[in-house]
Amino acid sequence: MRKRKKLTRPIGQFTFGAWALLAVTVLIPIFYGIYISFLDIKLSSFLPPQFVGFDNYVAAFKAPETWATLRITLAMMILGMLVQIPLGMALALVLHRNLKGSKIFSSILITPMLLTPVAVGLTFRFMFDTDLGIINWVLESVGFEKINWLGQQTTGILAVILVDSWQSIPFVMLLLVAALGSISPQLYEAASIDGATARQTFWKITLPLITPTLLVVVMIKIMDFLKLFDTLFMLTRGGPGNETTTLGLWTYKTGFIFLEFSRAAALGVLIMIITAPVYLLWRRSTKEIK
Amino acid sequence: MLNSKTVKRFAGLVSVSLLLAACSSGGTDSEASGEINVFLIPSPSSTSIQSFIPGFESETGIKVNVSETPYGEAHQKQLLSYQQKAGAYDVAQFDNSFLMPYCQAQAMLPLDKYLGDSSAYDIGDFGQSQQDYGKCSGETLGLTLSTEPMIQWYRTDIYEKLGLKPATTWDEYFNNAKKVQAAGFGGQIIGFGPNVSWWWMTMVWSFGGNLYDEALNPTVNSKEAIAATDFLKKLMTVSPKGASTANSDEVTSKFLGENIGAMINYSGYYGSVLDKTINKNEGKIGTAPMPKGSADITHLAGWNIGIPKDAKNPDAAWKFLEYVLGKSNAKAYLESGAAAIGRKSITTDADLLAKFPYLAQLEIPSSSRIERYPQIAVWPEFEVAAIDAVTQVLNGKSDSTKAMSALNEKLKPILAKEPK
Repeated sequence: MRKRKKLTRPIGQFTFGAWALLAVTVLIPIFYGIYISFLDIKLSSFLPPQFVGFDNYVAAFKAPETWATLRITLAMMILGMLVQIPLGMALALVLHRNLKGSKIFSSILITPMLLTPVAVGLTFRFMFDTDLGIINWVLESVGFEKINWLGQQTTGILAVILVDSWQSIPFVMLLLVAALGSISPQLYEAASIDGATARQTFWKITLPLITPTLLVVVMIKIMDFLKLFDTLFMLTRGGPGNETTTLGLWTYKTGFIFLEFSRAAALGVLIMIITAPVYLLWRRSTKEIK
Repeated sequence: MLNSKTVKRFAGLVSVSLLLAACSSGGTDSEASGEINVFLIPSPSSTSIQSFIPGFESETGIKVNVSETPYGEAHQKQLLSYQQKAGAYDVAQFDNSFLMPYCQAQAMLPLDKYLGDSSAYDIGDFGQSQQDYGKCSGETLGLTLSTEPMIQWYRTDIYEKLGLKPATTWDEYFNNAKKVQAAGFGGQIIGFGPNVSWWWMTMVWSFGGNLYDEALNPTVNSKEAIAATDFLKKLMTVSPKGASTANSDEVTSKFLGENIGAMINYSGYYGSVLDKTINKNEGKIGTAPMPKGSADITHLAGWNIGIPKDAKNPDAAWKFLEYVLGKSNAKAYLESGAAAIGRKSITTDADLLAKFPYLAQLEIPSSSRIERYPQIAVWPEFEVAAIDAVTQVLNGKSDSTKAMSALNEKLKPILAKEPK
């Protein structure tokens, strides 16, 4: 025991700086955010802030926008994952076969991951333009009517999912390729000797063994969608009206457009509460992988 | 023990250090050294202001430090600075929609005393509406940095080909657009996207309505506001499809880059007409007053610029404003690419009118009622609620009567938050 203590002491001393930095940059802002959510701070008001108890939380729960934007967030999250995970997995399975040209193919596929979401959002905004966008030009060329992509809720949400998927599928693919690589080839050999079909091999060997990684992917994607901002902001700004506004974007609007900092802090705390169980599940699933 | 020589050397070193420290701290104090810090928001106006700085510095010896912050975060930064009373800025450019929050917070220095004493600025060179543009509670908190009424823009070639004249009423405007559309062009364009509130409130005012009454009760469920919203939707039928998501910049670039008959937009966009990379229809752009509804209104927008109350060097700041925006430099200021300031001497100058024909639209007749961005601190929240409601109508999810009634209810608690 004594020996152990001696070993850990220098580590504690060396990591103190990092912990202090984390406390200053993460913990203090979180606690300060919680603290101001009980006040009535407005950037446009120069009056000293007053303690208002749970008023900001009550207002957030009563506001139809909170629920409407939460519904939009959940819709984007579910639809997004339905697109991204199966496609990411399909690509991972293809790459895992090490076919000719796989390396070039995977390098091309991960390119979207390297781009900044703001640039991607802006580029796609032009591409989705109803009159001049390349997407409608292609549609018209093959005989379809122009679609007002960003002008309606359904197509607006689809456009956001499409752009996010374009950037996120490579990430899903990379994690799953790594998971597939960790499966022992002997298992596949045994299955082949036993006469298992490709489908059976997938359902009985591949899927169960990559499930912990899939869970991590799902958790990360849930957290990503809960904080989806930059692409959405550049692409639709939450419009038309508030029809593609997510809870995160609504929090931004409350804080930085309405200048209602305390109300925004309360919404931020609500997002944190919603995310917490997902985070705990993620921690659990990563432990399982280890 | 230290000998006396060492002590003397040490004392000398300390004295020199203290002297240097005193000098350097004096260097950061803008008052002591004749420096001013100018907060600008990237725009043609801010670019023009900066072009006058070398001349001002050599004439007065006052050093000008400029910091530019994009529009999206500029006012938040200003408000934070004013709350801290740090005296970070001596001059600040701001949007007229922030005049009321700044006024309520008593963040800006009233400029009336300076204006009264300044023949170089010559406030008498402005019409009454322009003199009042930066006023709040009877005090001038900001000078006019640009005069940007909403006006009618049209394609002279298309109108000539179809034998059309710029519209004087909204009905004429719609009929013109219909004819242009029938000829295979885009009928007209306004922004039905994230800035739709700008056109919607213009219509509401023009149709004789108001957004709220004097007691700050919302009035967007009035028959005038409903008719205005219906008309806005009607205009969608004669607009290119892309207008439904376009913001004001995109409206302008579409009008200047495509074949669209007319546009309703702020005059400040004339800079884009002069930009050949944006304007593909050079020499074919005409301007006219905005069509009238049942009320003769002018929707006036534009930048303000003022001196924060916590400014460290307000007198030097005024000198700077007087120099850049004074009467003698007004012509050069416009020619340097800025959006025009509606001085009488500018809007009636024959040479300038020949070069910038839109200047005629800046002469606002006294009969026209001036409407500015609503002067309320809760405007951003009001605006988002209005955009949401109008979008429901434009997308066919709700009819105007229903949407405006719902909006009216929604606006009650928002307007109730406005400091009385």
